[in-house]
This record gives sequence, structure tokens and C-alpha cells, in this order.
Amino acid sequence: MSTVRQKQNPAFYALIAVLVFMSIGPVVLMFANSFKLDVDIISGTSGMIFLPTIRNYEQALCDVLWYEPDHLDFCSLKFGGAFINSLIIALISTVLTLVIGCMAAYALVRFRFMGRDTVSLSTLMVRMVPPAVLLVPVFGLWNNEFCIGKTTLVGGWIRDMFGGRGDVCLAGTHSGIILIYVAMNLPFVIWILQSFIVQVPRSLEEAARVDGAGPFQVFFKIVLPLIKPGLAAAAIFTFRIAWNEYLLASALSDRDTKTVPILIVNNMSEFNVEWGVIMATGMLLAIPPIIFTLLASRQIITGMTAGAVKG
Amino acid sequence: MYTFIKSTTLGLTAAALMASTAIADGHGGPYAPYADTTLIVNFPAHPHYNAVMKILPEFTKETGIEVEVDQLPYLKMRERQTLELAQDEGEYDLISYVVFSKADYVFADQLENLAKYFMNPKLSDPSYDAEDLIDGYVQNIGVAGGKKGYLPGATGSLFGIPFGSETSVLAYRKDIFEKHGIAEPTNYDQLLDAACKIPEVEPGMGGMASRAASGHQASHAFLLHLAPLGGRVFDDNWEPIINNEAGVQAANALKTIVDCGPEGAMSFGPAEAANAFANGDAAMFMDSIAFMPGFENPERSKVVGKVGYAMHPEGVRRGSQTGGFGIAIPKNAENKEAAFLLMQWLTSKKGDLMVAMEGGNPSRFSTYENAELNAKYPFSATFGEALKFADPDWRPIIPTWGKINADIGTTMSKVLTEDLDIQEALNGVAERARAVMDEAGYYTWQ
Amino acid sequence: MRIAQANRMTPYLFMAPAAIIMAIALMYPLGYMMWGSLRDWDPTQTIGEAEFVGLRNYVTLWNDPNFWESLTVTLKFAFFVVTFEMVIGVGLALLLDRDIRGMSILRTLFILPMMIAPVVVGLMWRYMYHPTIGTFNRFLESIGLERVDWLGNHALMSIIIADIWQWTPFIFILALAALQSLPRSALEAARIDGATGWQQIIHIKLPLMMPVLIVTALLRLIDAFKVLEVILVMTEGGPGLSTEILALRISRTATEFRELGVAAAMSNYLLILLLLLTVAMFAFNRWQEIRAARQKMAVEEEE
Repeated sequence: MSTVRQKQNPAFYALIAVLVFMSIGPVVLMFANSFKLDVDIISGTSGMIFLPTIRNYEQALCDVLWYEPDHLDFCSLKFGGAFINSLIIALISTVLTLVIGCMAAYALVRFRFMGRDTVSLSTLMVRMVPPAVLLVPVFGLWNNEFCIGKTTLVGGWIRDMFGGRGDVCLAGTHSGIILIYVAMNLPFVIWILQSFIVQVPRSLEEAARVDGAGPFQVFFKIVLPLIKPGLAAAAIFTFRIAWNEYLLASALSDRDTKTVPILIVNNMSEFNVEWGVIMATGMLLAIPPIIFTLLASRQIITGMTAGAVKG
Repeated sequence: MYTFIKSTTLGLTAAALMASTAIADGHGGPYAPYADTTLIVNFPAHPHYNAVMKILPEFTKETGIEVEVDQLPYLKMRERQTLELAQDEGEYDLISYVVFSKADYVFADQLENLAKYFMNPKLSDPSYDAEDLIDGYVQNIGVAGGKKGYLPGATGSLFGIPFGSETSVLAYRKDIFEKHGIAEPTNYDQLLDAACKIPEVEPGMGGMASRAASGHQASHAFLLHLAPLGGRVFDDNWEPIINNEAGVQAANALKTIVDCGPEGAMSFGPAEAANAFANGDAAMFMDSIAFMPGFENPERSKVVGKVGYAMHPEGVRRGSQTGGFGIAIPKNAENKEAAFLLMQWLTSKKGDLMVAMEGGNPSRFSTYENAELNAKYPFSATFGEALKFADPDWRPIIPTWGKINADIGTTMSKVLTEDLDIQEALNGVAERARAVMDEAGYYTWQ
Repeated sequence: MRIAQANRMTPYLFMAPAAIIMAIALMYPLGYMMWGSLRDWDPTQTIGEAEFVGLRNYVTLWNDPNFWESLTVTLKFAFFVVTFEMVIGVGLALLLDRDIRGMSILRTLFILPMMIAPVVVGLMWRYMYHPTIGTFNRFLESIGLERVDWLGNHALMSIIIADIWQWTPFIFILALAALQSLPRSALEAARIDGATGWQQIIHIKLPLMMPVLIVTALLRLIDAFKVLEVILVMTEGGPGLSTEILALRISRTATEFRELGVAAAMSNYLLILLLLLTVAMFAFNRWQEIRAARQKMAVEEEE
């Protein structure tokens, strides 16, 4: 390749600089604003020169701080609690999706359940369903159908253990939100993992089987370690969706299971647009995905391209 | 009692409650039987309720009743309540409801009639002085079942108590008006003239900041002008008359105001509009009194001390809005009696004043007359005056209102942004509204 | 014998959890939705209590100008978003397909926007578009230009720009991957034949990338119909209905107007629309493949 070795045009570097500026500019802007007082944001005297303050973060995190910030009269934002809910929901749904998806992908590849085309097609079909379409049925089912009467043994036990009132329904629980996230992410995860499992040499598995390993042992000891990069990619994608999703979570959660995106949308209330606090909450929500991106960008790109380019 | 005994744990609580009532009867005061109860209440994110949040610790200290608040933006709050109130057993012990939810909830039999609580000598505070509550608010927000179903009347009864109720007043920049020799607007002609004169004489400043965002906000802004200009959404036979002359006039007024308003006015919600005024981008702001204390807060406002407050200008009649919130006890609540005690405490003379001093909206005449309050918020007197002209019928509070409101809002927003013909647009609204009303059975008796 | 039987059961055991979850949390709800769309259904009712109204909800929607407007907005949004992102993304990939240092860092920075929550993207852009305090209008003012009413008169354009910002990198990354996996021999041959840069792009690179590009466009198109949070936070569908895409209208119909039946019917219309688009794209893809195969055969025969 002779062309690439030649010295690049300065315009080329200018283009790259502009692109970088455009892609991270808004994030940097949000980061900077989250350290400004509302007065500074509104008057706009500043730009990048201002006196940073952590007041916005104090206000956002007031329910988990060990001290009471004196500029607050009461703690209205329960960000800490929502953050924990988000973590629980995102982590558990990621783990579940991976385990279940991995097993299914393995079965599809090794036992030739369905043709690859059928799987790709049905994955695409399921991926086609927008969350908004699931809103109505999930709302109805989770609230009314997927319930255990509180007079039944299990239902009574749950009410005794966890408190609360009325019949025990999936709506308003962490499990309810996790279930729909797992279902939404499974097709994609199966699709990605498939393309990695196909590459695991069959001979390795057969060798293990000859040594007397059962199918489960083969799966856990031989296959899983070999598809780690695929697992990482799938994990990040599942986590991202479960962490960022708003619509279904807002229909299914109650006051104890609110996730961070719901809190942020709610906080854009019409009576007080407090930009500083909004930016701070936005930043806190964005931090985990940003960390993932910086640490594992290669896996993310592998995951993104695996589906489209190879499949 | 029936709901109490449904599950074992709750049954135990109820038994404990009854036992302690018996013991504490006559001793330990009215709150003693309910000490250590935790009430779960649902309040909106609203300046008034932010003030309430500051005084709730006082209630807990005085009574031993804990309060856990779930604060939501008010449209979200309504969605949440629709769900919660429909359950057999709900989570909330006390809810704050938007005035137009009154119809939905009462119609679906989801709110407690308050009569039995005020009758109960153990619960009802003899010094409550219900006559002192602002009558217009009580009728508009608390009473249901009278004339037209939502207005006061002989057949009405009380389901809620106004709390965080509001009416509309006009805030204007005294300095700007004086500088250009514009008089304080007292009628709509003056108001509209001033609104469009200001951008001419004061470049960069909009005339009036108003809500206009698509949906509920645009509808609210339109109705705000409809009543004073002599219009109504329906006549007495539920026929839509929103498209008559007054309706067109009101839509024109809104369009004029938005066109002469500050930058980006078309997408303003109330917060953006209030912020624009507080930031000096507009010379007038006409909306709920709930926003006004914010303009005197130096942390959020650049116009402290420069604002004059006037009554909602007169069209063919005086008719400022009545709106805001009331508090009520859901039928499916767990701790109804303790909830009543909280409700009574908050709306008592003492509670009302405390909330008002923190920047809330008073629900009592006596609070408006309080010297301390007037010293802290000099506009209180104007508000008290404005209340006398508050129009309880400025928008219909009927179960079908949600749908019609959304339609008005979308159509108005289109009028503002897409230059739709106003008469035609309103005709469309009237036609669709009639279909909705017909389906709901409002023409059965005709 | 028992081991053999266990082995025969294994694939089913491996598949079972996924199959069960998909059945109860995806397939059953979709069926439930079809059923619900035939009812006059209020959020306070269970589906059994709701009155059966046949196809009334579908007819109501068909005659509802607001529904059509919302559908138009959705199609416009999807069309512009996919077109612009494809052009810009593929263009950038062609430009940046060079052996430069730090490409991996660049790619990391580029994928940042897609990893951030749509809610956060929405609020960042809402701030930047703010009429008075927003970044864009401040910038315009500082260089002496008129302010622009981004989320008012130009709301649709503004949300399209925000989406382009977030998702062009996706196309860029995929196009770049496709470019870098092109057979070197074809490019070498073209270069030896003396093809210019443009000729190489148009006659060699783009046709070879085509299968990947079609899949990419399809994925983006499908995702464009899912966009909701960004718009919800930025405009809530306004002003008027100018940015009320179908997904948003479904959610408003369900929660704000409390008409679950109508919302379900609307969901079905949206599903049908997406299905048609997907099938059309697939058919197109297949047709392209067949044509390419035929051309190849023709070339081979000539030889």
C-alpha cells in the first residue's frame, strides 16, 4: 500500500480534529456544566472558565451522602437509590442473559437445531420489535396477569417477607423489569455468541468427550473459556440496553424500583429546570458506559461488526 | 376496616391500632394512637409542595407519624395515580391530585368522602375553622357532584381539600413599563398592545412569556384567555362552543402573545416561560401565583425588586384561572385515619401559614391577611384580591376532559407553529369534542 | 443407555430457558397485544373486563389525521436519518481508511455517543438547542448571526441532527470494518490498471461493500423506528405533532389518553410497517445477490 505511507495532508488531520471535537464535545460540555451553578449556566458568562462546585452532585446524591449539605432544605432527588436499582437490574439481567443465551447458542450450533439462516432471520425479526410496541402488553400482563394472589401460600409468604400491599405482581418489582430486559436482549446475544461458538474447533470438544466429560462439562470447561471475547461483547451490549432503557422501566417500576433514566426524565419537571443538577445526574448515568467504552472498545467493535459483517 | 384485615400483617397492625386507641382514648392527644405509623403520600414536584417538604419534619416531631413522600412531576403523578387507585389495595395513604383529576377519581369512586372524618370527634379538630378556607378553591377543587357534576351545588359533597391551589396573576417589569411610559395593563387590549410594543422599544426583550408547548401547556395557555374574553368550552347543554367568536379571539390573543414573545416561546413549558421572565428576556408573565415567589429569590432570578404584580386583565369579564392541587384520601389506602390527621394538620391555620412562609400558596383567607406573610411576600395582598374573581368554571372538569384537553393542546400548538386557520382549527376541535361527549353519553337526555 | 438418553435430551435442556423466557416475555405479550387491540381497554381494567369492539380501534386510527401525521413524521425521520448517516458514515470510512497511528483511540472516541443513554443524549441536546442559554444560539449570537428556534420551527431537523450525531459512528465503524476486509487482490488489480481514487471507490470498493452496507442500513432503519427517549426528552413530540413519532404516540396514547386498545392497534400497525420494510430490504438484498451471481456467471462464460 503505497498511498498510505505518504505524508498525510494537513486537512486530513484537521478533519480528524473536527470529528473528535464533534463526538466528544457535547459530553465534555455536559461534564463542565455539571460543575457549574445554575446562575453561571444561565448567564453564560463563562465558557470553560468558572469556579467549579460540587453542589449539583451533592443535591443529586443527597440520599446517600453521610452529611447533610447545608444548601439543601430537603432531599428531593433520591438518586442513590435509583442508582442501586439500576445496578441491580442491569447486572442481574446481563448475567442471566449471558448464561441463558450462551447455552442456547451452543445448542443451536452444536446440535444443529435450526439452520443458521433461520436463527439470523428470527433474530432480526425479534430485534425489529420496538420497545414501544411491547409497552401495552407488558404493562397489562405484568400488572394484571403475572400475579400471585396474596392469599396463596407463596404470595402470602412474599407479602410477609417484603411487605407491600395487594396481590403480588411482577410490575413494580426488580424481577419484572429484569425479565423483559432478558427477553429483549436474548436474540441479539444468541446471534453474537453463535458466530463465536462456530469458530471453536470441534476436535477439542471431542477430545474432551473421549476423556469422559459430559456435555455440561464440555460446555463449561472447553467452550466457555474460548469464547470470552464474544461474551465480553455480548455483556457490554446487554448491560448498555438494561442500563439505559427508559420506557418499559417507567411503565413497570414503582417508587421503590425506579431506575436512573426515569429519575432524570422526571427531574426535567416543568416547574424548575435546574440545568446543573440535570447535567450532574446525566453525567452519573453516563459514567459506567463511558468507562466500559474506554476499557473495552475493541470488544464493542467486535460485537458490533460480528453481526453485520460476518453474518 | 374490611381492607385492613385482608392480610395477616396488616390485620395485626389494625388490631394494634384499635387496642391503642382504646387505651389512649382521652389521653395522649389525638395523634397518640397513630404514632409510629408511616404514611406514604404522593405529591407533585411543584413549588408549593417543595415548601411542604420543608415543614413535614415538623409534623413528624409533633405527632410521631412518619411521612414518606413520593414526589413526581404532576402529569406523571396523574398517570401513576390512575394505576394505583385502581388496585384493590393501594400504596398511597394520601394523594395530591391535579384539579382536573377530581372528575376521574370521584367518578370511578376512588376517593374517600370526607364527611365521616369531619364527623368523627376523635379525628376532627374543633379549631379547624373550615369557613376560613378560600371558598372558590373548596368548591372548585374539593367538592364534586353539584351543578354539571363538577361545580358546587346542592347535591355536591366534599372529597378533597384545596392545598397548593392557585389562580393567575400578571407579573410585569415595573422598570421597563415606566421607562417607556406603558401603563399597567388592566384589560386585554392594553395587554396585547403592551405585549407587542415591548419588543419594538426594548430590542431583544420579548413581550410576554407564556406556556405554549404542545399538549397540556398550549391548551392551558389558550383557556387562560378564553374565560376572561367571555368564552367557554361547552355551553350548559354540553354543546361545544369553543369555536365561537370568543374562542377565536382567545386563540388570536395567544398567537399574538407568542409571536411577540421571547425567543423560542413556541416550545415553552411553564418553567421555561418563568425562567425567561426571571432572566429578563420578557417583560410580562401571566401564569399561576405558584411561580411568583421565585422571582423574588436572588439565587434564581435577575429581576428581584423590579416586578410589579397585577390582577389578570379584564376581557369582557374578570376570570382568572382556578387550578392547582387538592389533597384527598384514596379509597384503597391503608392508614386512612392517620392520613386524615396529616391532611387536617397541613391545611390548618398553623400549617397553612407555615407552608406559605416557605413560599407555598395559601388556602386560607386568614393566611393572606397575615402581616408577617405580607411583609415577606409583598404581593400577597394582590393575590388575595385576585382570588375574588377566580373563575371556577374556566375549564370543564369532566371524565372526558383528558382527551379533549390533549386535542385542544395539539391543535393550538399547530395554530402557533404552522399558521393553521384559527376558525377552522377550532371547528375541528369542536367537532371532535362533540363526538367524544356523545360517546360518553352527555347527550342522552336530549 | 441412560447416558445416551441424557445426551439426546441435552440440546433441549440447553435451549429450554431461552425458549421459555422468549415465549412468556416476548411471544405471549405480542399475542396479548393483538388480542388487546380488539378491545376498548382502559389501564384500570384487566383485559377480561374490557369490552370487545372488533376492529373498531383500527378503523378509528385509519381515519385519524393525527395518526397519519405521526406516521409521516416517523417515515420522514427514519428516511432522513438513515440516508444522512449512511452517506456521512460511509464517506468518513472511505476517507479515514488509512494506516494512521492512534486509529483505535479515534474509534473509541467515536463510539462514545452510542454508548451513552438516549435520555442523556436528549438532555445534552436539549440544552445545546435552548433558545437563549443553549450553546448553538450563543455561538450564533457571538458571531453576529440571528438566533435559530431549534426546537420550535425546526424541531424535526434538530432531532434528526441529534440522531445523526449519535448513530453515524455505528455506520462508520461497520463500513470501516467492511472496507478493511475487502480482498486486497481486487484493489491491487485496479491500481495496476491505473484506476483513480474515485474510480476505485465507485467500481471496486462500494460494490464489494454493498452486502454489508445493506445489512447496516437495515439495522439502522429498524433502530430508527425505536428512537423514543431522545425525542421525548428534547421535544415531547411538539410543537404540534411535528416530532411525534409513532413510538412516542403509542406511549402517549397508552399513558396520557389511557386508551390501551388504540395504543395496541397502533403498535400493530407499526409492526406491520416494519415487517414490510424488512421483507422489502431482504428481497432487494436477495435480488442484488442473484444479479451479482448472474453477472459473475456471464463474465466467466465470456472468458
